Amino acid sequence: MSVQYQIFVCGGIVPDPLQTLDPVTAPAGPALKNEMMLPAVLDPFAWHALFEAARLARSSPGSKIYLVSLAPKAKLQQVMMSVAQKAVFDLVVIDGPASGFTDSNAVAAALSEAIQSVPGLDMNRLLVFGGWESASRGSGTTLQAVGEILGITDQFQGVDDLRIESDGSFRILERIDGGKHQVSTCAGAPAVLGWATGNLPEPPNNPQIGMTNMRGIMPALQKARPAKLNAQDLSYTSVTLPKQQRETRVVDKLSAEEIAREIAEWIKKS
Amino acid sequence: MESILCLLHTESNGALARPALEALTAAKTLAADLGDAMVDVGLIGADVQAAADVIAPCGARRFLGAAGPELGEPRYATDAAAAEALIRASGATLVVAPQTSRVARVAGGVARRLGGSADTHITGLQVEKGALKIARWYYRQRMEATLSRLKRPWILVVDSGCVKPWEGAPGKARVEPVSVELTEAARRSRFLGVQEPPADEQTIRPEAELLFVAGAGWTKKQADGHTHVPDAEKLILEFLKRTQASLGGSKSLVDISGEGQAVLHFMTHLNQIGQTGATPRHPKGLATCCHGEEPHTVGWRFVNERRAVNRDPSCGWARGKADVLYVADAFEVMEKVNALLAKQD
Amino acid sequence: MDETTPPANSATDRQSIDVDIACVGFGPAMGGFLTTLARELIRDDGTPAGESSVMPGLPPQIVCYERAADVSFGVSGVATRSRALRASLTEADLAQIPMATPIKSEKVLYLLDPHGASRRSWLLRAADVFIRAFRRVLPFAHDALNLPYIPPFLRKDPGWILSMGQFNQWVGSRVMSSGLVQIWPGTPVAEPLFEDNRVAGVRLVDQGTDKQGRADAGFMPGMDIRAALTVVGDGPFGPIGRQLDQRFGMPEGHRQHDWAVGMKFVVDLREDSGLEPGAVIHTFGYPEPEIFGFLYVHPKRIASLGVFVPSWFDSPVRTAYRYLQHWMLHPYLFRHLEGATLRSWGAKTLGESGRRGEPRLVGHGYARVGEGSGSTNVLTGSGVDEAWETGVLLAHGVLDLLRAGRPFTKENLEEVYIRRRRRSWIEREGRIAEKSRDGFQRGFVSGVIGMALAGFTKGRVVIPGEPAPSHERLPAIEEYFKGRVSSEEIRSIREDCAARGVSLHDALMDRVGWPAIPFDGKLLVTHQDALLLGGKVQAPAGYADHVVFLYPHLCESCGTRICIEMCSGQAITPGPRGVPYFDREKCVHCGACVWNCAQAHPDDPARANIEFRAGTGGLHSSEN
Repeated sequence: MSVQYQIFVCGGIVPDPLQTLDPVTAPAGPALKNEMMLPAVLDPFAWHALFEAARLARSSPGSKIYLVSLAPKAKLQQVMMSVAQKAVFDLVVIDGPASGFTDSNAVAAALSEAIQSVPGLDMNRLLVFGGWESASRGSGTTLQAVGEILGITDQFQGVDDLRIESDGSFRILERIDGGKHQVSTCAGAPAVLGWATGNLPEPPNNPQIGMTNMRGIMPALQKARPAKLNAQDLSYTSVTLPKQQRETRVVDKLSAEEIAREIAEWIKKS
Repeated sequence: MESILCLLHTESNGALARPALEALTAAKTLAADLGDAMVDVGLIGADVQAAADVIAPCGARRFLGAAGPELGEPRYATDAAAAEALIRASGATLVVAPQTSRVARVAGGVARRLGGSADTHITGLQVEKGALKIARWYYRQRMEATLSRLKRPWILVVDSGCVKPWEGAPGKARVEPVSVELTEAARRSRFLGVQEPPADEQTIRPEAELLFVAGAGWTKKQADGHTHVPDAEKLILEFLKRTQASLGGSKSLVDISGEGQAVLHFMTHLNQIGQTGATPRHPKGLATCCHGEEPHTVGWRFVNERRAVNRDPSCGWARGKADVLYVADAFEVMEKVNALLAKQD
Repeated sequence: MDETTPPANSATDRQSIDVDIACVGFGPAMGGFLTTLARELIRDDGTPAGESSVMPGLPPQIVCYERAADVSFGVSGVATRSRALRASLTEADLAQIPMATPIKSEKVLYLLDPHGASRRSWLLRAADVFIRAFRRVLPFAHDALNLPYIPPFLRKDPGWILSMGQFNQWVGSRVMSSGLVQIWPGTPVAEPLFEDNRVAGVRLVDQGTDKQGRADAGFMPGMDIRAALTVVGDGPFGPIGRQLDQRFGMPEGHRQHDWAVGMKFVVDLREDSGLEPGAVIHTFGYPEPEIFGFLYVHPKRIASLGVFVPSWFDSPVRTAYRYLQHWMLHPYLFRHLEGATLRSWGAKTLGESGRRGEPRLVGHGYARVGEGSGSTNVLTGSGVDEAWETGVLLAHGVLDLLRAGRPFTKENLEEVYIRRRRRSWIEREGRIAEKSRDGFQRGFVSGVIGMALAGFTKGRVVIPGEPAPSHERLPAIEEYFKGRVSSEEIRSIREDCAARGVSLHDALMDRVGWPAIPFDGKLLVTHQDALLLGGKVQAPAGYADHVVFLYPHLCESCGTRICIEMCSGQAITPGPRGVPYFDREKCVHCGACVWNCAQAHPDDPARANIEFRAGTGGLHSSEN
C-alpha cells in the first residue's frame, strides 16, 4: 500500500512576470512601488511544485496537500482565484509581506511554525515542497531552513523529477551546473524538495476542484495569523534599478553576406 | 574583527572548479579590504589533499579538510554536516563559498544550523568603514541591493564570473583533518550519478565564450508563409558545433513546446534565458529571432558584448539593449555565418 | 439548429456541476450585481435570504467566470458621474480604490490639425479657417479651441476618475470576501447550455487543445455548469451574449451596427506637467475629425489618456495605435505629455448602439446586464455607471424571486428586472440618447450638431441617419484615397506590405502627409513595445484560437482586410493567399476585428466572416 503523504507546498506570491517593477523605500525597508496594485501570481517555481504535489497525491491515494503561503491576505485571496482550480489543497495562510526583501530566515521560521501547527502532522509522511528559488528574493535558502527547523536532512534543490519506486524510496533528479542532472535516491519521507520547473504542463482549470477548495480557502484567509517576522539581522543600504543603457548601432543597410562577415569576425575576436 | 573561511568542494575528479578558485579570490580580496583578516580554507571532498596543494600558496592561515568517500558525493546531509564542522573548526565569522549547485543546496540550512545567515548569488563584496556590505540582485535580476547583516557566521555564496579565478603555482599544503560525524540518518539519501545529454546534444556550456540565444521567431512562419523548423535546427546546431557556444532560448520559444507546435528538439527549460530562466555570464552574446524585451534581456544582465539579429529595426534590442542590432533575416545570416566559419576551420 | 445542447456524459468525459446562479464576465455590471446580491443575501438575523436548490441548507451557490487571467485586467477610460456607484458604495469606499479621485475640472477641446494630414470636409476646413482668423478673441491656444461652455449632458462633475482595473480588483475582492460568491478568472465560457427555449447554464471552454481546438496533451472537455439562472455580462461582443442573440434574435427594430475601439495609455507624467489630479479633458477634431480623445488625471502624477475610433469613421485602413500617437503629439496635449512614461496600455471595443442595441434582456433561465445589454448612454458617453446600475437592478429582482421561492422564468424575470429597468434613469436617459449620434452617418459636422440637438431637446429633435455594418459602408482603399494616392501606388504599397507581413495604414498615412513618430522609448514607443511593456500581453498554452476566419475564400477576395489594419495588438497580420494569420499571443481581446470585418457571413448578413470565440490570454495590466 502506498504512503499517504502530507505534502506541504510552501509558496509565496510575486508580481505577474511582465509587470514593471520599481523599488521604493518604505518605513520597514525596501519595497516595490505600488506593490498592492500590481497583479500577482503564485511564485513560479512553487507553482510547478504544486503541480508535482498534485501528481504525487493522485498516484498516492489518501495523500493530502497543504499550500502554505506568507502573503498579504487580500492579495493572496486574489491569487487563489487562479490557483484554486488547479489542485485540491488546504490553504494555510500567514498574513504578512510577500516582499523579496524580507529575510529568508524569518520567512522560514514563519513557514515552519505554520506547518507545525497543522493538527496530525506526521514526520513519517511529511514532504516539504516549494520552489528552489523564489522569483522575488531568488536566494534558494528558505526551504533549507524550513527543513532544518523541522529536522529534515534529506533535502533536494532544483528538482525536475520525483519518482516513487516500488519499495517506497524516491528517485530524484536535481539540476546541477552545466545543464546536467544529479540522480539521487532517498529512503522516503520526510524530505524537502525545492522544485525547478519539473516536466508537467500546467493542469487545466477544474471548476469542481475550485468550488471545493474555495469553501476552505475563504475561512483560512479570514483566520490568517499575522506573521511575526524578526528582521533585525538584515539592513539594506540601497536598492536600485540597473542603468545599463547601451548605445545601439543599428545596422540596416548591410547585406546578409556583410553582416555574416562582421559576426564571424566578432566571434573569432577574443 | 572578522575572520574568513573560504569553503570549497572538490569535483568528482578531486580538482577545484573555476567557481571555487573565483571564491578564493573573493575571500582573499575581502580579507585584504577588512585589514588583513585571517583566511582559512575549508575543503570538502573524497580526498582533498590534491586540491589543497593546487592552492597551497594562496596565503591561507590553515587548510581544513573534511574528507572521506561519503563526502565525495554531493548530498545535503553529508555536505551540510561537513560545512558545519569546517565552519565550527575555523571559528570564522564570514564564510565565502562559490555558487555551485552543491553549495547552493546547503548554504541556507547550514546557516540556520549555526544560528547565522546566508546570502546567495552575491555579485559584489564591499567594505565600508570596516564593515562588509554585499551586492545581490532581487526580482530576477531586475534590481540590485546592497545590504549588511549582524548575525554571524554569515555565509556568502558568490556568483561565478564576478571575479577572476585565483592563479598561482601549486605547492604542498598541510591539511588539518576535521572529523565529520555522520549518523545513520545522513545515509538515507544516496548519490547515484549524473545524467547529461549525449556530448553532441550538450548545448549548455557555462564556460563558453559565446552565448547564442534563439527566439520564437525561428519556429514562426517566414516570408514565404511556411515554417522552416528543420532548417532552423540544422543552422543552429551547426553554428553551435563550430563555435562551441552555449545555447539559450527565450521563454516564448521554450514554452511553445507546450503548444504542440513544431519546436527545436534540443531546446528545454534548462536553456531558458531571462526573467524566469537563467542569467548566464558569457563574455559575448548573440541573439537571433527574439524581440529583446525586458523580461528576456534581464537574463543578459551579465553578458558583456551583445549583438542581435532581428528583422524589426525598432525591436527592443535597438533601444539600448544590444551593442549592435543587425536588421536582417536570421536564417539567411546564420547560413552565411556558418559557411564563413567552415572556411575558417 | 439543435434545440438542446448535447448533455455532458461519460462518453466525452465531460463533467457537470450544479450551481444556483452562474455569471459570465466580471466587469462593472457584474460588480454591481454581485455586490448587491452578496450584501442582501444574508438577512439581519444572519440567515440566508434564500436557499440553494442544489445544496439545501446553504445559501444560493453563486459562481462567476471571467475569461481574463485576473479580475483586474479590464479596460476603460473612466470619468463617471458615478450616480449608481455612489448609491451602492460610499465616497469613502471609492476613495480607498487606488488611482481614484474626484473630478475637479473639465474641459472640452476642439483640436485643429497642425499638419494638414487629416481628412476634413470643406465645412470643417472653413470652420478651422474661421477659428484661426479669430484666434485672438477666441479661447484658442496651441492649435486647440477650448469650448467656453460644456453642455450639461456632457458634464461628468460631480463624479470620479477611476482605473477600471483597480476598480474591478477592489470590487472583486470585496465580493469574494463575503464568502457568498466565487469569482474565477482565466475561465472562458464557450457557450450557453440550451434546453429548448431555456438557458440551463453554461459550458466552459475545452482545455488542453491545440490551436485548432483538437484534443492535445492534458485535454479536458469544458465543464458544464448547470444553473437555474445564468447572468450574462460578457461585454459588447461577448460570445455568450452573441450566441443568445443568434438563438433568440434581436427585438424588433434593434440592431448593433455602431461601434468604436477605445485605446488607452496610462502614463507617469513629468513633475511639471501642468496637470492636476481630477482634471478631465475631452477632445474632438483630431487626428481625424471623427476620433474622440480623453485625458484624465489620477493622483500621484498618473494620467489615463486615449482615443476612440468609431465605426462611422469610414477609413478602410483605420487604426487606433498610430492615431493615438498623433493625438498625444498634438501641441495642446504634448506640452503636458512630453517627458511622460508609459505604464500601461490597453484597448477595448465599445458598443455604441446604446439603447437601440438592447438585446432580449431576459428569457427562461437567463438575464443580461451591462454594456452588452444596451445600457451605455451614447449621448453622454457614459457606460460604467449605467452598467453597474443594471447589475444592481437585476440583483434586486433576483432577490425578490429568491425570497419568494419563485423560479427564474422569462415572465418572472420580466416582472422583477425589466420592469425595474424600464422605470430607471438608464432607460429614461437611454431613450434621449438613442438616436443622438445618427447624424454621424451623414458626416462629422452633422453628427456633432445632431448630438447637441438631441441633448438640448431631450431627444425630441435629432438628425436622422441609418447606421450600417462595416461590410455595407466601408469604401475600397482606392476609393478612400482617390485624388490623394493613385491606384497603382496603392497596389505597390499593398505588395510591399504583404511581403513585409505588416498592415497598410502606416505606409498610407506616411504617404498622405502624417509625420513620422519620433520614438523616445518612453511614451512614444512601437506598437509591440506598448503590447509588452504596457499591456503585458500574454496567452497561456492549451487553448484553441479564439479568432476564426470562417470562410477563407471570402478573405482571399477581400479588398480591404481591415481586420489587419484595426487589430489593436497586431495579432492579425497578412497571411498566405490573403487569409490573415492570427497570433493568439498578441491578442488583447478588444474584439475590433469582429465589427470591422468587411465581409458579411454568407448565411447571416448580421454577422461577419470573423468569429470571436471565448478565449484566454490578453492584457495583464491592472491599471487600465
